[in-house]
Amino acid sequence: MRFIPFLFVLLTAPVFGQLKWENPEQSFLPKAQDKQVVARFRFTNVGTMPVTINDVHTSCGCTTAALQKKQYAPGESGEIDAAFQIAGRTGHQEKAIYVTTSSALLNPTVLRLKVDIPEAFTIEPQLVMWRVGEAPQPKTIRIAVSDEYPGKIVSVEPDNQSVKLDLREIHPGKELEVKVTPQGTTQAAAATLLIRTNYPPANPETHYAYARVK
Amino acid sequence: MTAVRQALWILLIALLPAFFASAFHPKRPAWSEDALKPGEERLGTVQSWGDSVLWVDARSRKEFDTEHIPNAVLLNLEEWDQLFPAFLDRWQPNQKVVVYCSSLACHMSEEVADRLKRNSVEPVYVLKGGWEAWKSKQ
Repeated sequence: MRFIPFLFVLLTAPVFGQLKWENPEQSFLPKAQDKQVVARFRFTNVGTMPVTINDVHTSCGCTTAALQKKQYAPGESGEIDAAFQIAGRTGHQEKAIYVTTSSALLNPTVLRLKVDIPEAFTIEPQLVMWRVGEAPQPKTIRIAVSDEYPGKIVSVEPDNQSVKLDLREIHPGKELEVKVTPQGTTQAAAATLLIRTNYPPANPETHYAYARVK
Repeated sequence: MTAVRQALWILLIALLPAFFASAFHPKRPAWSEDALKPGEERLGTVQSWGDSVLWVDARSRKEFDTEHIPNAVLLNLEEWDQLFPAFLDRWQPNQKVVVYCSSLACHMSEEVADRLKRNSVEPVYVLKGGWEAWKSKQ
């Protein structure tokens, strides 16, 4: 029966030292040009024993979590900064940060970062392809920029003569339909479509679409 | 008898955290093979397809440079515009493409696979367990 106190300590450890999180689930609506979102998860040790944060890991390589220090005395507060790299992502994204503490080794706290990324630049599809020998029928690429995007599309042109482009502006500078026609499909060919914008003025962005005969 | 009783108590105390760890720990081993999600394939299945598979590594360039599946092509969302042309050079129509990222916990392979499918690259699969699954079989 001398073991009962050990059992008691094991099961009640979370009561003596535990972290209370202010906002364990956070949502963000970044702008189309934002490169990253940083969420600050604040916590306080509301228990009577020090708490050690043993491990912080994320559900995606696109999210990093930074912790100032590992041990927190009773009443002490701290924070974890989670940075989510937007690069190339669009739409609704949910990332988790798992925090394991000495007071709850078996039950990590899950912090959640929800991000709705507007699509600033849409190229659908980014690839048009013909099989060798296929009829060289035109295929359409739709290019659009969102109202939030501060620039305009100023030109679309191929990097070589293996394809011909037929451009139709739907909303000037904001939405285009590009019909791509290969000059021939008797042999493999490759072209890159250069979609030039006027933003940012100092070093305007170029986006890309691709045409292939394979 | 006291020693036996104490041994039983120790066993009981040890079993409790073991039970919680096996039931709730995020890195607990699977008791049985998990079901596949749509578009996912196990390593054994992919290997049975032979050498015609095009492996796509959806991890970071740093991880790829450290080690990757032989002949894999790097393609991640961070460097999509720089890497997609190289993927197109390697890919042949109707070739089976298998995308992987670090482990079961990552989702980059699903995101890259979705983006490839949106560009009519088919068929595309995601390797269940990712790089960890491949590495564990070497």
